[in-house]
Parts: sequence; structure tokens; C-alpha cells
Amino acid sequence: MAEAVLMPRQGQSVETCIITQWLKQKGDQVEEGDLLFSYETDKAAFDEPAGANGKLLEILFEEGDEVPVLSTVAIIGKEGEDISGLLEEGGDKGATASSTADTPEKPGEAHVATHRNEQTSKAREKSVTKGSDRLRISPRARNMATDLGVDIGLLHGSGPNGRIISDDVIAASERSEITKRAQPDASKAQAPTPEGEYTDKTLSNIRKIIAKNMQRSLQHSAQLTHHASTDARKILNLRKLIKAQKEERLPSTTTLNDMICYAIVDALKAHPEMNAHFLDDTTRSFHGVHMGIAVDTERGLMVPVLKNADRFTLGGLGQSLRELAESCRNGTIDPDLLAPTAGSFTVSNLGAYGIEMFTPVLNLPQCGIMGINTITQRPADLGDGTIGFVPYLGLSLTYDHRAVDGAPASAFLKSVCDRISNFDPKL
Amino acid sequence: MPKSQFIDPLKSRERTTITFGEIPVNAYDKPFDEAKKDFSKKDLVRIYRDMQLIREFETMLNLIKTTGEYQGISYNHPGPAHLSIGQEAAAVGMSHALDVEDHIFGSHRSHGEILAKGLSAIHQLTDKALMQIMEKHFDGAALRIVEKENNGEAEDLAIDFLVYGTLAEIFARETGFNKGLGGSMHAFFTPFGVYPNNAIVGGSGDIAVGAALYKKVNSKKGIVVANIGDASMGCGPVWEGISFATMDQFRTLWEGDQQGGLPMIFNFMNNQYGMGGQTRGETMGYDMLARVGAGVNPEMMHSERIDGYDPLAVIDAFKRKKKILEEKRGPVLLDTLTYRFSGHSPSDASSYRTREEIEAWQSVDSIVTFRKKLIEHKITGEAELDRIDEKITGFTKKALGLAIDEKVSPRMDLVSNPEQIGEMIFSNGSVDSMEDRDPEVLMPMEENPRVKALKKKERYAFDKDGKPFSKVKTYQLRDGLFEAIIDRFYKDPTLVAYGEENRDWGGAFAVYRGLTESLPYHRLFNSPISEGAIVGTAIGYGMSGGRVIAEIMYCDFLGRSGDEVFNQLPKWQSMSGNIIKMPVVIRVSVGSKYGAQHSQDWTALTAHIPGLKVVFPATPYDAKGLMNAALQGTDPVIFFESQRIYDIGEMFHKEGVPESYYEIPLGEPDVKRQGKDVTILSIGATLYRAIEAADKLESDHGLSAEVIDARSLVPFNYEPVIASLKKTGRIVITGDASTRGAFMKEMAQTISELAFDELDAPPVVVGSRNWIVPAHELEDYFFPQAEWIIDAIHQKILPLKGYQPVTDWSSERAILRNSLGV
Repeated sequence: MAEAVLMPRQGQSVETCIITQWLKQKGDQVEEGDLLFSYETDKAAFDEPAGANGKLLEILFEEGDEVPVLSTVAIIGKEGEDISGLLEEGGDKGATASSTADTPEKPGEAHVATHRNEQTSKAREKSVTKGSDRLRISPRARNMATDLGVDIGLLHGSGPNGRIISDDVIAASERSEITKRAQPDASKAQAPTPEGEYTDKTLSNIRKIIAKNMQRSLQHSAQLTHHASTDARKILNLRKLIKAQKEERLPSTTTLNDMICYAIVDALKAHPEMNAHFLDDTTRSFHGVHMGIAVDTERGLMVPVLKNADRFTLGGLGQSLRELAESCRNGTIDPDLLAPTAGSFTVSNLGAYGIEMFTPVLNLPQCGIMGINTITQRPADLGDGTIGFVPYLGLSLTYDHRAVDGAPASAFLKSVCDRISNFDPKL
Repeated sequence: MPKSQFIDPLKSRERTTITFGEIPVNAYDKPFDEAKKDFSKKDLVRIYRDMQLIREFETMLNLIKTTGEYQGISYNHPGPAHLSIGQEAAAVGMSHALDVEDHIFGSHRSHGEILAKGLSAIHQLTDKALMQIMEKHFDGAALRIVEKENNGEAEDLAIDFLVYGTLAEIFARETGFNKGLGGSMHAFFTPFGVYPNNAIVGGSGDIAVGAALYKKVNSKKGIVVANIGDASMGCGPVWEGISFATMDQFRTLWEGDQQGGLPMIFNFMNNQYGMGGQTRGETMGYDMLARVGAGVNPEMMHSERIDGYDPLAVIDAFKRKKKILEEKRGPVLLDTLTYRFSGHSPSDASSYRTREEIEAWQSVDSIVTFRKKLIEHKITGEAELDRIDEKITGFTKKALGLAIDEKVSPRMDLVSNPEQIGEMIFSNGSVDSMEDRDPEVLMPMEENPRVKALKKKERYAFDKDGKPFSKVKTYQLRDGLFEAIIDRFYKDPTLVAYGEENRDWGGAFAVYRGLTESLPYHRLFNSPISEGAIVGTAIGYGMSGGRVIAEIMYCDFLGRSGDEVFNQLPKWQSMSGNIIKMPVVIRVSVGSKYGAQHSQDWTALTAHIPGLKVVFPATPYDAKGLMNAALQGTDPVIFFESQRIYDIGEMFHKEGVPESYYEIPLGEPDVKRQGKDVTILSIGATLYRAIEAADKLESDHGLSAEVIDARSLVPFNYEPVIASLKKTGRIVITGDASTRGAFMKEMAQTISELAFDELDAPPVVVGSRNWIVPAHELEDYFFPQAEWIIDAIHQKILPLKGYQPVTDWSSERAILRNSLGV
């Protein structure tokens, strides 16, 4: 049976998208996942994959058309299939659908003379469902959320029409206090149901925050990733010396990660455009390096910030990062240090998992995040024309193209690589 | 319903006829030769001068309005000027016969009367008294302006003062008689016996009666004249004023010195037109206005038509009528025939009358005719009269020059003091007694039977165990009102109270029960069923210097006193430039059980009008304290009471209602119950429904409600409400008024503005339905119930777990009802 391809809705505020390019043409055979077309909103550009296998039977909008979201833009089906029904609904179907959804019921249509209670409950149901598609919050609740540091985007409103009221903020604040203090295994409802084919797990608060931040980051920035690798012999050597206790100026706990972070911090000092926030109409370069470091905890990803990381020696930096990670794992971290705005740049290290390359997601409004990969042996010129295997560390820099162009971002990445390959820390 | 007067069926049913006497029409026929003997030469010349001054003054205004220029001085006056050119003899004749302490009230067309009465007073007052008056008026502000370039004679200076003060007032200058707040149609000057003129036709028809009542009750010298137009004979308040003024009781029931009629003349300045409507022949049916007096009382109101074009005929009539009033045989009706050459206003094209008609009256112009007679009879010569004319032009020209000079006669500076008019809306006085003399009472207060009975009542509603006392043992809300009122009767000799069934009956709701025993008739009496006159006379009584409580038996009857409550009572303090005080309390009882025309809460109507204070107590403690404060003040207070709770005991003030005097300041809401989750702000008797709702919220939903009793509507201090909202973040405002346009809505809007950031939900108004009030048995579907308050909280503010509402507060329902207008 033929299927309509709808223009996706990219966020609640988006009403129309422009088709920038058709990647398949009418009559092409497509498989689920094949990219069909590119489109853009006023904020970002996207590719839409096919949701079904079949032939691209019809294309209803051309490149450059402004299409209301949820409108049918194309039809995929079998050759010769009757698609007239879908065609009729096409074009302005989405627009109609969305406008009905937003129009309140006409007063004249309300029932007049039915039983009081029955009607009341109907009216209640209606108003509650109606309220779900936009944020409603009382002024008091909003102020209270600011005071208590509660993210209103994560709240469920229990007031009339789904309005977030002060009780909701208080409850959320109390919940987060508990989450903060509780041990990692405190989250409830994890036990799988004895019967059934799947397990539903209510999202923990931290999961909700992660989900929201990640999605927001991808939706609201122009991020892309450059990959590079650098000679790791010097840092590996230093690590060996430390382990053998031949480098007494450094604590024996100093890790490769500490050294890489040290190099990144040092490079950031030379590239202030990367040590920055992008704030729509301004960029804010920080004088100190406030480095966020991704920490995996049992409750999920946390990114605590080490303030003024550039003031530390290698040993001090390492020590501080470990303490920070520890306080995340045991729940004693100062919540202020978890805010994305607290940091100026973030580092995420997946090297221990053998990851060779990845695209870290920006921690908005920060302009950059460095992914640290595993070390691999690569053939390289050993200096005298001899080709041999050299350990190389992979680095993946994601940056916000709105703030920084490719050349300076690459220059920064090269700076980091150089600092690692010629590692020479202040001790 | 005095028991002393027996209504005998035999006599009542006897066959008889009513006979009317004759009503004189233009009876004065003294030849000038004879008449001149009654006057000195100076008097006759003065009569001419006064008429000519009015003529010149109004000619000046007419020229300013129509040509923008007078005697080479240009000016634009955008405001009103209702001129009486042609009517001068009527004004001057009346004033000539009046003493300084005789008070006149006027209409929109009263420039002539202001000047005539002013000139008459100036003539009668000593130089010293004149100087004192001028020095005292706004600290001599106007005197300072006119005394420059003056020859130093007190009389001329006073005329300068009179002409300038009137003109500056017409031009809205702060140096005018009423700081420019009265203007052309309301200007007046009480030290010369000129009381407010009134821009509402017939407005003085009941107010002046109150002034006459004041003179009578407080044994003041002088009479009161209401100068109203012939067309005002069609206005209800004028008829009500006449009814009030001609009550039998003045002669049959009032005792001692107080026995006898009111010193009051209804002087209809009959210029034969109401705007363009010809009263005789078109819009009225009396043929001659004087006829109306015949039907009012056996004395036919001593009614008479007089020739207002002959100043001597007018003087003669007023002298005769004054004598009747001195013999306490008033009131009097005069039909003073006159004619205006000028239009209703300068925009009047006189399309309703012919050139011939105007010319015919101009050919008998009273000033021209009188001048001719003075010369013919050798009272004076052309040269002297010309000199007088010239001097008059000097007065008007000088006054105009000064009055339009922005530096000399500025308008109110609302830039440097934007609150100046606001500061004049209320006088906010605190006065024990309006006059220093012993009040007339019939017994010491301690011996009053009700005062004695109240000693035995329980002043707090509950006993030691929290059980309520029986109704008969409980000190009730009506007792709180009574205590405050009787206390003031023994303090303030000017205090009078009246309304329907106020005396023997004790008021329809027994608030006044026991007062009759303490007070002579003239301090507490029954009025005719004339709400307009009940309030109107109270206004006249108050502005004359007395304190008064007038009663409107049901709030629903307030409409009957619409102009008095909306246009007169609130305005005169500020329109007078704060010269007048208005210590008038209007008790208004809000009914229930009696359906659509006897159960409405109209607080919003009165609260809407700037210049009225509005209170609505709901407990005996508050009722007594607020009544004491209202009676101590000098402002008009609309004092609402609820018939639903006249018998309620004091449930909140644990010490009970104090026996001693205390005041509760107007404008302060009171927290009747502390709470932290939601605020309920109630107006009037709905307090008890709010308390009931608070009880249920506590017991059924674990919510603690703070209940605030508004007590006052105007003024109102929002701070305690905001303080409460800081705690609760939620508020319901409830009261018995129909919701649309109710004062509750005003509060909700103001709260939204003042405390937006505190709000966890919009302020919700739980008022009555926008219906007629149904029968008592259906009232629970009309007036807000405790459940409605909880329903509203559940649906608009804070959903209550497992709660099943009985009423629908959804937005859909609200939109539907509004779209249907119910």
C-alpha cells in the first residue's frame, strides 16, 4: 500500500520548511533509509530518509517550495498503485490539520442542556488535553523555578489546562534534592514487569535533562566534526616514567587523559575563539578556561566543570579532574558546576572503550567539544625514511560553525595535536 | 404611620368636593409713580445698575463665544456659556428682596443670579465684612488680583471681586470662585448666599429643599430659593422635592418651634423654553406653570405667576412670599415669567422661534423700559446712567483682561502636581460635631430602652464552649449600627436621619428601633417614597453644614435616586474647590428573599463614581466601627448593609463588640481567618459563604484558606491582599453582585496588575449569575455558594484530588455565557 511522505515537524515553533534538494527523483526505486530530500527550517537544514521501500510514485513539491509541516510531499508505493486518495489529502492536508488543532471549539458548539456533572467532566477532559501542546506556567511558578533552579521544560503541569503551578515546581525541586542525595541505585521502577514483551522505565530527571540538551544541541546549532590524530609517543613515554616512578614531580596517578586535557587547555589559551559561548547575536570568549569533562555515572552522563583549568599544573589538573568525577559519581557535586553555561569548552574521552572516531555533541552554548579516541598503531615515517608503526591518538573536534569557521577550528585542532606530539608540560 | 392620627373611615368616605382658590397671574399693577415711593433713589438706580451689569457681563460672554472678541480683547472660550440675556429683571428683583443669609440655588443658566445675589449681598454687607470675606476666600487669591488698580472703595472692590471671580471660574482658572472646577454651569459663592448652580435640569429642585430643611431644623436665619427653569417641571426630582417640601408632618407632627412649613421658594424662572421645547403649548400641559401649585397642598403652595420683566413686580412678590415663609406657612411656588433673547447656548440658531417673537420681547426689554422710567420720572438723568454704563464696562473689561491673563489667572498646574484634583475629591475630615450646641434629645442616652436592652446582650456570638448564643441573647449587626448612630445623635446636634419608615417602625429592618424614643420628630422622620428627594435633600442638608443619614430601604431603589447619587452627592466637594463639605451617609440595604427587584447588590454602580466612599461591613464589630468612622468623616459614604445578616452575632472579634466608641478606618480590609494555601477575598455578607468554603477546603482537601473581608470598596488598601498573595499565590474574589462589571472584577484586575508575579493562577471571581434574582427558593442557584468557591478553585486554580464539582467553570462555558450575554 502506498505511503505518504510527510514534511517533518522540526520543533514546535516550525510551521513551514523549504525543500532545498530532491535526492531521489520521481520513478526512482527507494529503500527505507535512503535519503529522499533535503530541507531547511529558518534555523537548520535536514535530510529526510525514506520510511518505506518502493517506488517514488509522486513528488508534490519542487525544490525551493515552502511546505507546511506535516504536508504530504511525496508518495512511495508500488508501480501502478492507485494513489488518488493520498493525492487528494496532499498539499494542504497538514496545514488544515494543524489549524484545526489550534482552533478552540466554537462556543456555539458547546452543549447547553445536558446533565451538569457529565458536561463538567467533558469540559475538563477537553481543556486538559488541549493544554498539552504548549508551555503554560503561572508567574509564581516561573519565579519559583528560577529561585530553586528547576528546569521548567521538564515539568509536567498539574494545574488547570496543564498549567505548571507552584506545587509542581516545589515537587520537582524536592525530587531533585532526593536524586542529588540518593545513591546511584536509588532510581525506582527499574524492575522489569514479570509479564509482557517490554519494560517501560520512567525517565530519571538526569536522563530527561540529557535528552533535552542533546536534542536541543543538535537542533539549534550548526555543528560538525573534524578528525585528526597525533603522535602519542611522548605522552606514552611520560606515562611510563610516572608508572616507573621515575618522574617524581608528577603524582603516580597522572593519566594520559590528564596530559591530553592539559594540552587542550594550553591550546585553548592560544585559540580564544574556541574557548567561547555562542549567544545568537554575540560570541563571548572567556579569559580563563572552564573545562567541562564528560563523566559517565550510573545515573547517566554528567559534565562537571573545572573552573580556571588553565591555572593548574599537570599534576593539579589531574587531581582536580579526578575529584570532580568522584563528586559526580557520589552525588555531592555542586549543581552550579553542572550547568552548560558554567563551562567554556568540553572534553569527552571514549578512548578507554576503543572508540576510534566519534562526533561528540556540543554542550550549548559552548562552541567546541573535543572527543578523545583510542590510540592506534599507524605506519609512519620514523625519521630516516624507515616506515614503522607509531602509536597515534585520535582526536574528534566538534565545533559550532555559526561561531567558528573550518580554518580556525582546524588550526586549533592542529595546535592540540602539536602540543601532544611535543608534550612539554609545566611541572 | 403615627398612631396619634386616626384615619376615620366615616370621614374618609364622606361625599365632598375639592375646591381650589384663585392663583394670581401678573397681579402687580402699581403705577411707577406709586411704586417709586417704596424705594430710595439709590435703590432704583441700583436696580438699574445690577440689571445692566448682568446684561454687559453676558453680552461680553456672547461676543467672546460668537466673535472671539470683546472691547478689543480677543479670547477663545471653548467651554459652555448658557446665557440669560433678557432675564435680568427676574434675577435682580429676586435678589433685591433677599438678605445675605437667604440662600439661592440655581441652574445651568445662573450667571445673572450669581451676579444679582452677589451685588445684593455686597450692598448689604459692611465694608469690614466684605473685606473679611474676600481675604478669607482661598487666602485672598482673587482679592490680590483685583485690588490692583482699584480706587480703594470696598464696594467697588467687591464688585470687581464678584465679576472677576465668576468670570475666572467660567474660564476654568484656579483663581475662580471654585478653583475653576465648577465652571459656567456650577459656579457659586456661598458667603454671598449663592449656593451651587446645577448643570442637570431640575438638579436644585430637591437639593435646595435639603438646604431649607437645614435652616429649619437648625433654626438658621433666612430662606432658600431654588431657581429652576420652567422645563424642570417635567423632572421627577423636582416633583419629589415639592412632595418632600410640602409634607403634612411639618405642621401636624413636628413640635414646638419646629412646627410649620419649610422656608422654601421653588422659583421657576419661566423663560418659556426648555432648550428649544416650548413648555407652554408643546412639551407641558399646565397652561400656566403656576397652576401646578394648586394640586400639591391646600395652600396651593401660595402659587403665583409674576411678571419677571418688571423688577418691581418681582421684588413685591418676593417680599410677600418671604413673609409667608417667616410665618412658617411655606413652601411657596413662584412662576416668574421671563424670556431670553439669547439662545439656549451660543450654538443655538433659534430655529424653534421667530424673529418677530424675539423682537416683540426685546421691545419690552426690562432694562430699556426701566431706564426710560427712571428718566421719565426724574429719578435720574441720561448722563448719570451713561456714567453707570461706562463704569460697568470698566468692571467687565478689567475682569476679562485679568481672567484671561495666563500669568495672573493660571489654570490648575496638573504637571507640577498631577494629583491636585485627586486631592480634592474627598475632604477626609474628622469632625465630632458639625456645630457646637446641645443636641435636642428626649431623654438621656442611658435611659433609652434599646440602649438599656443592649447592655444585657452577648457581644460575642459564642459561649465559653464555642456554642452560639440564641438570637435573642446575641448582640446583632443591627445593634452595632444602632449604637454608632445613637451615639452620634447625642454628639452632633445637626444630625438628622430620615427615609422610608424610619420613625415609629424603627426602620424596615429594626436598625432604628428605639431611636424614636430619644429623638424629636425633626431629627428622625419618615420621608415620602421619594428616593430622589431623600438623597437630594440630604445633599442640600450636608452642603449647608449639617450631618445627615439618609436611608434607601432596598439597594434596588438606588436607581430611583440615580442623578442624586451619581451626579450630585459625589461631585460637590471637588466641584466647589473644596469649599463645600458633604458629611452625608446614605444607608443602603441589600435585600434577599424578595426576588428580582429587591435583592440586588449594586455596590459596583456607586464604587464606579469618583467622589463616593463605599463600605459594606459584614460583622457587628465592623458595622459599628465603620458607621462611627463614616459619621465622624466629612465625605459622602454609601453604607451598604445586607438584610441576610442583620441578626448575625460577632464571630470574629473574640473580645466582643466594644461598648465604647471606636472607629474602623474606611478602606482597610480585614483578615478574618489566617491561611496559607489560597486567599478568599469577600465583599459583604458573602463572607460567611467564604468561611464555609474555607472550612470545607480544610476538612476535605487539607487546604488552609485565608479569608479577607474587604469591608470597604472605596477607598481600598490593596497591601494586605498582596501580602496574603505573597503567601498563597492564589485568590478567589467573591460577593453577591452579578458578576459582569462587578467590583469583584475591578479587584481582580487590580490584583493581577499589582501582584502578577505572586500569582499561581489568575484571580478568579465568584459572583452571582448575570440573571434576575429568582425567588428565595432558587436563590442558591443565583448567589455564590461555598461549593462554587471550591469548584472555582478546583477548575481554575488548583485541581483537588478526587473532587467532583457541581458547577462549570470551564473557559468554554465562560465564553458561551458571555456570548449569550448571561
